[in-house]
Amino acid sequence: MDPAHAEPAALTPLVQFRDVAFAYARPARGRERTFAFPGLSFTVERGEIFGVIGPNSAGKTSLLRLLTRVLRPQRGEIRLAGRPVGDLAPWALAREVAMVPQEAPRPFPFTVEQLVLMGRYPHAPGRFFEDAADITAARAAMAATETLALAPLPLEQLSGGERQRALLARALAQEPRLLVLDEPTAHLDLRYQAETAALLRGLNRERGMTILLVSHDLNLAAELCDRLLLLSAGEVARVGAAVDVLEQGLLESVFGCHVTVDKSPSGRPVVQLAYERG
Amino acid sequence: MTDARRLARALAALSLVLLAVGVTALFVGSAELSPSAVARALAGRAEASSVEAIVTLSLRLPRVAAAVLAGAALAVAGVGFQALTRNPLAEPSVLGVSSGAAFGVVLAQILGLSSGIVAALGAAVFAFAGALLAATIVYLVATAPGGLAVQTLLLTGVIVGIFFSAAITVIISVVDFNRLTGVIHWLLGNLGPIPAASLALFAVLAGAGVWLILKSARELNLLALGEEASRQLGVDAERLKRRVFVAAALLTGTVVAFTGPIGFVGLIVPHVLRRLVGQDNRFLVPTAALAGGAFLLAADTLARNVVAPAELSVGVITAFCGAPFFVWILRTRSRPL
Amino acid sequence: MIRALAAVALLALASPAHALVLRDMLGREVTLAGPPTRIVSLVPSVTESAFALGGEARIVGVSDFCDWPPAARAKPRVGGMVNPSLETLVALKPDLVVGTDEGNREETFVQLQRLGIPVYIVHAHRISEMYDLIARVGALTGRRDAVGPLVAGIQRRIDAVRAAVKARPAPRVLYVLWPDPLLVPGRDSHLTEMIELAGGRSITAGEPVSYVRFSIEAAVARAPEVIVLADHSTGASTAGRAAPEKWQALTSVPAIRAGRLYSVDLSVLHRYGPRVPEGLELLARMIHPEAFK
Repeated sequence: MDPAHAEPAALTPLVQFRDVAFAYARPARGRERTFAFPGLSFTVERGEIFGVIGPNSAGKTSLLRLLTRVLRPQRGEIRLAGRPVGDLAPWALAREVAMVPQEAPRPFPFTVEQLVLMGRYPHAPGRFFEDAADITAARAAMAATETLALAPLPLEQLSGGERQRALLARALAQEPRLLVLDEPTAHLDLRYQAETAALLRGLNRERGMTILLVSHDLNLAAELCDRLLLLSAGEVARVGAAVDVLEQGLLESVFGCHVTVDKSPSGRPVVQLAYERG
Repeated sequence: MTDARRLARALAALSLVLLAVGVTALFVGSAELSPSAVARALAGRAEASSVEAIVTLSLRLPRVAAAVLAGAALAVAGVGFQALTRNPLAEPSVLGVSSGAAFGVVLAQILGLSSGIVAALGAAVFAFAGALLAATIVYLVATAPGGLAVQTLLLTGVIVGIFFSAAITVIISVVDFNRLTGVIHWLLGNLGPIPAASLALFAVLAGAGVWLILKSARELNLLALGEEASRQLGVDAERLKRRVFVAAALLTGTVVAFTGPIGFVGLIVPHVLRRLVGQDNRFLVPTAALAGGAFLLAADTLARNVVAPAELSVGVITAFCGAPFFVWILRTRSRPL
Repeated sequence: MIRALAAVALLALASPAHALVLRDMLGREVTLAGPPTRIVSLVPSVTESAFALGGEARIVGVSDFCDWPPAARAKPRVGGMVNPSLETLVALKPDLVVGTDEGNREETFVQLQRLGIPVYIVHAHRISEMYDLIARVGALTGRRDAVGPLVAGIQRRIDAVRAAVKARPAPRVLYVLWPDPLLVPGRDSHLTEMIELAGGRSITAGEPVSYVRFSIEAAVARAPEVIVLADHSTGASTAGRAAPEKWQALTSVPAIRAGRLYSVDLSVLHRYGPRVPEGLELLARMIHPEAFK
């Protein structure tokens, strides 16, 4: 570990955003103004499940892109385990942070096993074929996500839930310290939503995997996450435990609609949209 | 069985096929040499100025080598280009590069160059100039601020190709009748015996192009995840796209320079191979090199024997194979394009 | 020869002062108001014939490839043979356009006829047809009297060549129209007849078309004793220049061993016009040098 950046391991947050400012060069289609983070600061602690929620235009996906260095901030710093993200080579970053996308790309002509093995690239980018260690790691990842049986099947033949697990396996094969998920349950049936949540909780409890997830499903986020970040127009509206963040007045002002907040059987808040009765 | 071993097995099998086709090509031809005469020539035991020596060593052998090189180059360019654009119907000639190169050569044929060896190499230089021009235009147009946009690449390639084809038509329309036939026949593909120096250059350039794409094979697999996802895995997507584009353009331009424009090889061979060895580019690239060489050599052997002593251009054979094949692909694809 | 004179006679009889109905070499009927006085020639051999007969006054326009005699280059040009400029052509106000079905496009003729300009089509696949062509050009340009002497002169020279090479064994000749890919004349090409008249035997004479893409190794196997390379280069451009050095490697071929590799100016040999005896003499000198010392 580089002495210049050494900090006591137990105390350093895994992810630190400090005053990160970013703006897209041109407004996205359909938007009037360019989106911008004026100056974003937050941390993600080791071993926690951290959720980012907010309306669609709040910048959730842009945040993920900044973290994985697809985008570069104009100002500010993003640190991973104390080291600036910009200092790391792309493959080195990929060994620390693994991203699980919303859905599999189409067309995708490979099998599940081939997909999962792709996650081993950051560990030896120069190698032509994967070696035995890579195959072991891939199998372990598939075992953890219960996708070993699906290994020889083409990804496109799987159901939505199975595909999601395969993508998760690929991310796990990277052996990251941080797992990042972009809308992990967006296209899934209720059953697979529950499955995915259980899987993530299991990874977090048994392996101490730090998880950062972005979701528009407030209740999933409430159930699963240790802390939440409510993002509104590129700024932190509130960060903290679910019960503090999912507060009726705050939600109504950020999302611009009427909601009610109750308590679920587990004690976590449950947000319900109050539909207009016309 | 490990991947490496599986690949070795596939390559061994294809090498046998290539060898078989190569031997057939050497023994069959319109000069009607007996097998023993050919064998004598190959063993070096025929008199240097005998018909069998001249035909076998100065005519058939270089032509076989040219066909194998061209076939390998086109097939590998096809694999690379299809992986780059994530479109299995992408064919090297769709890059616009082969039309640009053909335009260069046709221009050279009409304008004229200085004599001698330069004439043979000179046409190649014009071909490369044309290929470079076309590739540069396509690259510049398809490069948005964010990087090389592969979907724009396809469209731009088609348009540039059409443009240069039109330019060729203009040239053809002003050339006199006697030269016209020659130029038109060249445009159908001209696999002929190439002098040793040119052949060596051909081999070096084709080898460089194949090497570049082979090096990129694993990363090309990752590109199937989507550019952003592959970047998040640590792939330098911009460098990869540039490298593969340049390699595909180099391979295509080289083939046109030395053997005229030949179509469909870059489409047929990768597709057949995908059904045999799967989608992994690390398998496809090396097997395409061997299979492409064997395929074009077989097509050329057919082209020069089926109406002997007259010849068909090899492009005719590959097109006649290619068109129905294209239809078959479209009909048997289970998922929409 | 007789046929040519008969054609001239027929044309002489069939020409009243008004409504002239001619039959061209494809058998088409061509109707003119009167004898043509403003002719556009899209055919180099027709232009050459017209000049040789002294009838160039009636030629008001030529194609870009009508470059013989040098005086022909001074005539207004209407463009290439494949795509002449119809505008330029029409602006010359021709009353007849002479074209060929070997080099001009059908399309051009259709357009001209739509514009009300009569089109007279010629072709010549044999020397005998060439005399016919010359006779017709003579009739069209009002120089019938000059046809006889011109034809006789041509005939004389051709006969002289034939006499010189008669009874000599005919060597195998390979004529290379285009080197890469190899294009050679077949049975229907006039070049095959020329080679024969010059006392040679074309090794590709058996191919049943005019021009064929030929296998080099078959050509090598047929062991030609003389190789003639067509030189396509014109003054400015060296494209298609005969490149003898390409052939030197084929040392099994008798022509290479004996150094009998020649190049010939394409335009002299490829037009069935008044320069045929010139081309023939050239060819004969290459094939039978010993007969012309």
